Amino acid sequence: MTPTTAPPAAVTPARRGSRAGGRARDFAGRFLSRNDGRLGLLILVVFGLLAAFPDVFVGKLETATTATGQSLQPPGGGYLFGTDELGRDVLNMTVHGARISMTIGLMATLITVLLGAVVGIVAGYVGGKTDTVLMRISDFFLVLPTIVLAIILAPVILDIVGADAELFGIRATMIVIVVVIGLTSWATTARVIRSQVLSIKMRMFVDRARVVGSGPGRIMRRHVLPNVINLIVAQAVLTFAVAVFTETTLAFIGLGDPFAPSWGEILNSAQGAGAPGLGAWWYIAPPAICVVLVVLAFTLVGNALDDILNPRSGARR
Amino acid sequence: MSAHYLARKLAQAFVTIVAILILNFLMFRMMPGSPDRVIKNPNLTPEVIAATRARWGLDKPLLPDQLIAYVKATVSGDLGYSIFYRGQPVTEVLGASIGPTILLVGLAEVLAIVGGLAIGAYAGWRRGGKTDSIGTGASLILYSMPYFVIGMPLIIVFAAGLGWFPTSGMTTPGMSDQPLLTQAWDLGSHLVLPLIAVTLGLLGGYSILMRSSIIDTRAEDYITTARAKGLKDGYVLRHHAFPNALLPMVTLIAINLGYVIAGAITAEIVFNWPGLGTLTIHALNARDYPVLQGIFLLVAVSVVIANLIADIVYGFLDPRVRT
Repeated sequence: MTPTTAPPAAVTPARRGSRAGGRARDFAGRFLSRNDGRLGLLILVVFGLLAAFPDVFVGKLETATTATGQSLQPPGGGYLFGTDELGRDVLNMTVHGARISMTIGLMATLITVLLGAVVGIVAGYVGGKTDTVLMRISDFFLVLPTIVLAIILAPVILDIVGADAELFGIRATMIVIVVVIGLTSWATTARVIRSQVLSIKMRMFVDRARVVGSGPGRIMRRHVLPNVINLIVAQAVLTFAVAVFTETTLAFIGLGDPFAPSWGEILNSAQGAGAPGLGAWWYIAPPAICVVLVVLAFTLVGNALDDILNPRSGARR
Repeated sequence: MSAHYLARKLAQAFVTIVAILILNFLMFRMMPGSPDRVIKNPNLTPEVIAATRARWGLDKPLLPDQLIAYVKATVSGDLGYSIFYRGQPVTEVLGASIGPTILLVGLAEVLAIVGGLAIGAYAGWRRGGKTDSIGTGASLILYSMPYFVIGMPLIIVFAAGLGWFPTSGMTTPGMSDQPLLTQAWDLGSHLVLPLIAVTLGLLGGYSILMRSSIIDTRAEDYITTARAKGLKDGYVLRHHAFPNALLPMVTLIAINLGYVIAGAITAEIVFNWPGLGTLTIHALNARDYPVLQGIFLLVAVSVVIANLIADIVYGFLDPRVRT
């Protein structure tokens, strides 16, 4: 019996359990044996903690009214990273920025990957005209300059719904940024998933499922999805890097929410206060270094996962 | 290259541009402040409203009449009038900003392609070596940096700190009556920092892509053959591996153009460079939608055309895709 014809259902629950455990251990071992994977994971754990408990580390987010420092005070005298033009502690804002930037990144990633995975699986599995139409649409979004489209879409949507509107207690500005990033960056994920689905579709267990009378919806959910879930995870991590990067750019351009200062928003106010020309490096360096570290960490972890989980990328990088 | 390949690529580009036009049209209808709102005035009689609507073509259905009118106007170069730059046609506003952006992005592309491909090719060829770890590490860090994050420290160190270069703008005011050489020197000194920022922003991505392309190429049979013939290592890299690894880069560089322009927008803001980026910010702050739409249309169509050119060049370079 060749491995491809071995019915997965024939595996007894006990054996399957031990095999999955072994696989997970094998995966963890391969991931942690890579320097890039370890470094990326370490950075993400640190920033994850900062984002989860900002109040524990630096107290409540300072506002213009609760700020205690002088304007643009250099580091020292109780302000490790100095102050901004309103006298707010830059360290305080940067730590709180972690939560805001990464929350937006997470939400945008979920939308992107959900859209991309659904389009990729349907296009790859259904094929034919559906595939052609969906891939034409994804081509359009691949070619389209995402950030430029986002720059136009965000203010249009904000003007329609109003910047102070709220949905489930989240301010509209944040939702608009999330939706805009999601709408404009799902195409890459869709492409990657589709090409994997195309090869899975040819495998024996899909034919077998069809023979016993499973409909396309059930086959996609029960047979195709579990086989591309690894790839979806790797794509999600890589998308997170893109989402944080895009959010920073959009906020820097002035589309962020001043009441929820992400790192891009802090850099935007630094630019507005003329910090670069005044040589106020302490206002710029902390948020800028955080953005670079987080984007770098997600890229490293994503590449490591992709190398291990994606059969196509193999030993390339 | 077969006529069929060319025709297919042309048709695809055409369809994409039409889709962009339709998208632009629909966004234009969605946004607030449409003429319809202005004439919702209780003091106006129905006759006046009807006459005004007819005057602006609003009495006709949105699809297809208004769409056709919009496409006709756009194709003939009428992008409407700016709100912020009172009454100036959008095409004129765009025309004034496009030169500085082309200068900045064009030079940066050339420098980044030359540098990025060289670093990436050498790193991939000597995979795991010292050049690879340093070059790829630096490339990954640059790749994670938004252009403005590269630009801000440049200003702090070289403009505000050391005072070697001006902090912002493209020219020093009152330079126009100086001799041409002085003006060129002035422009050059303003250009250095933004150029470095955009070049570094691009370099990381190109180097990473080139590295993985050369690693793919290295495993090909013709490289083994070339080595077996006893050719020198450097010769195999330059004459056998490099040209072949270059092929996928053509497409990637073209696809990248949209990101480059978007990134250049943020670099321009930092350096107050008077190009499309600075214009975008002014238009954004003033909610000058006609100008924003013009910028989007310009960038999107340029990217589509760049991709079309890349496809055609690719078709010439690689016989395998000429079907």
